[in-house]
Amino acid sequence: MRSERTRHNKIIFSGTVGAGKSTAINALSDITTVSTEAVASDSTARLKPTTTVAMDYGVLNLPDGEKVMLYGTPGQERFSFMWDILSEGGIGLILLINNASPDPLQDLEGYLGAFRQFIASTAVTIGVTHMDSSPQPGLDAYRARLIALGLSPMPAIFRADARSRDDVATLVKALLYTLNPGLNDA
Amino acid sequence: MTRAQPSSPTEHPSALLLLHVGSMDARLIGLSIERHWTRSVRLVETLEEAQVVLIDCDRPGIEAALDQLAGHPRIGIVYYAFHPKDHALRFQPRPVLGKPLNLEALPATLNQARVDAAHMIAAAPPRPMAPALAVSSPVAYPRAPAPLGHSLMTDDERDLCGGMDDIPTTPGSSLPDKLFFNPDDYLIGRLQQALALASASGRPHLISGLPRLIGIEPRPVPVCITAFRENQLRPLAMTQLPESTGRIVSTPIIGEADSQPVHRAAEDFLWNAAAWAARGRLPAGSDPYQPVRLRAWPNFTYAFASPHAMRIAALWTRMHASPVEIATRLGIPHRYVFSVYSAASFAGLLDTTAKHENAPVAPFPPAPSDKPARGSVLSRILRKLRDAV
Ligand SMILES: Nc1nc2c(ncn2[C@@H]2O[C@H](COP(=O)(O)OP(=O)(O)OP(=O)(O)O)[C@@H](O)[C@H]2O)c(=O)[nH]1
Ligand SMILES: [Mg+2]
Repeated sequence: MRSERTRHNKIIFSGTVGAGKSTAINALSDITTVSTEAVASDSTARLKPTTTVAMDYGVLNLPDGEKVMLYGTPGQERFSFMWDILSEGGIGLILLINNASPDPLQDLEGYLGAFRQFIASTAVTIGVTHMDSSPQPGLDAYRARLIALGLSPMPAIFRADARSRDDVATLVKALLYTLNPGLNDA
Repeated sequence: MTRAQPSSPTEHPSALLLLHVGSMDARLIGLSIERHWTRSVRLVETLEEAQVVLIDCDRPGIEAALDQLAGHPRIGIVYYAFHPKDHALRFQPRPVLGKPLNLEALPATLNQARVDAAHMIAAAPPRPMAPALAVSSPVAYPRAPAPLGHSLMTDDERDLCGGMDDIPTTPGSSLPDKLFFNPDDYLIGRLQQALALASASGRPHLISGLPRLIGIEPRPVPVCITAFRENQLRPLAMTQLPESTGRIVSTPIIGEADSQPVHRAAEDFLWNAAAWAARGRLPAGSDPYQPVRLRAWPNFTYAFASPHAMRIAALWTRMHASPVEIATRLGIPHRYVFSVYSAASFAGLLDTTAKHENAPVAPFPPAPSDKPARGSVLSRILRKLRDAV
């Protein structure tokens, strides 16, 4: 059982309801287009009000045929018991925080707490979404909270729009460099 | 695994067999049943007990599962797949759900499938798919445009760090003048001044005499407002401005006259203007041997990332080190670190309070969690992201 879960490389996307986890995975995943076509029917209208209550799947196909699974956790706290299982064996965590939520800094703290052990053994990168419509709190408020929480090293935290593949890719790159600044891509 | 629970008087829990599903899905569904659906679903271990089964169409070996089912026409079947439409025809009238499974709707779907299976035996023609099948799947969103200019650059332009040689790794020798730039000669100097004045006075300030608007609004977090387009800003920031150009003036409001000015966090804007002015150099007066650190990562979804900038940020947010040390640890030319240093110092991200870590300067050792196999996977993911973006 264990081998099946750990055989694949996987990156975990977690964060608050509506933060853009499904959207981000969709933006990055290589299976997006086909998958979208498969459901782009009248069901689209029904999808909108639904939040994800199982994990989202996405796949990055590496040139050598290896796969990186992109897993999104359910946004609803009710299903938070899944987080540990989903993150088992993961490379690292992309945490998306919806800046339009009532108390996004508290959300940040809550999620960092829930994933504390996972983060301690891997790494986290944070994307603050919906900043176009809700500019406050700003990045510095988040950084201050991260410092107050004593996170070391200080995680990368960016403004991000989950709809932008570039933004999502930037989050993942920062995660990889956090895991190993010695990686060379240039 | 079966947990007998008091069922509600009106419904019996559906006896579900996870006939052909992956181990992780099985665990997640098992836990969901345990926590939320004890009244609507119970897990069973054999086909004989089952009223409904769940089948993952994407898993190899589905034919064997279907063979097993052949002798059990009364059992309801719920399929799920990445591409449900590819399977719908084959399995109709049984439902084929899309991945990810919407667990909220799953119990109702299972129950419906159970009821439908009984009906299929009792009467013809078979009903179409149950209406309660909420299928949740990824939806395509339009890609937000990349910041203007970024994607238009050639590799040469993308570098923007000049071609300067490394300096000695230890202090002592005199450093060449061309290692330094004077910010006052460039847009970044004006921006820095405008930001200081705006912050001190609480009033917006403009840089006057430029072909288009650039101004700074101080509160609550300083914002740059400009009518320059991104691809115009870069050459402007790289060019030395005549001394008379760009006086800083206070203004009650910014931007009404200009059409469509964009607002950017001042931190990001100053980062870019400084990186573009620096081109691999240091601001006059800085000491390339003094240990400093980044107090935070820059906002790399907008802030310009020169070559190695992310690696530099990853390392420099975790340790005090001089620019030269950082370059040595990463095994990269100094100019790339100088660029980040310049950008960070104007963006307010440089922490210059001295605290030297006496670690020997050596090329960066692999992170402890970085087993060789995984390390190479990380590089390959990186390459994939770089090539595809
Ligand atoms: N304006 C704006 N919309 C965004 C941004 N990021 C994501 N969205 C939108 O926010 C909505 C919610 O995104 P989802 O991907 O469904 O969020 P989720 O995190 O998967 O939500 P749950 O699964 O319900 O927890 C979608 O319509 C996205 O297009 C952003 O930065 N700005
Ligand atoms: Mg979702």
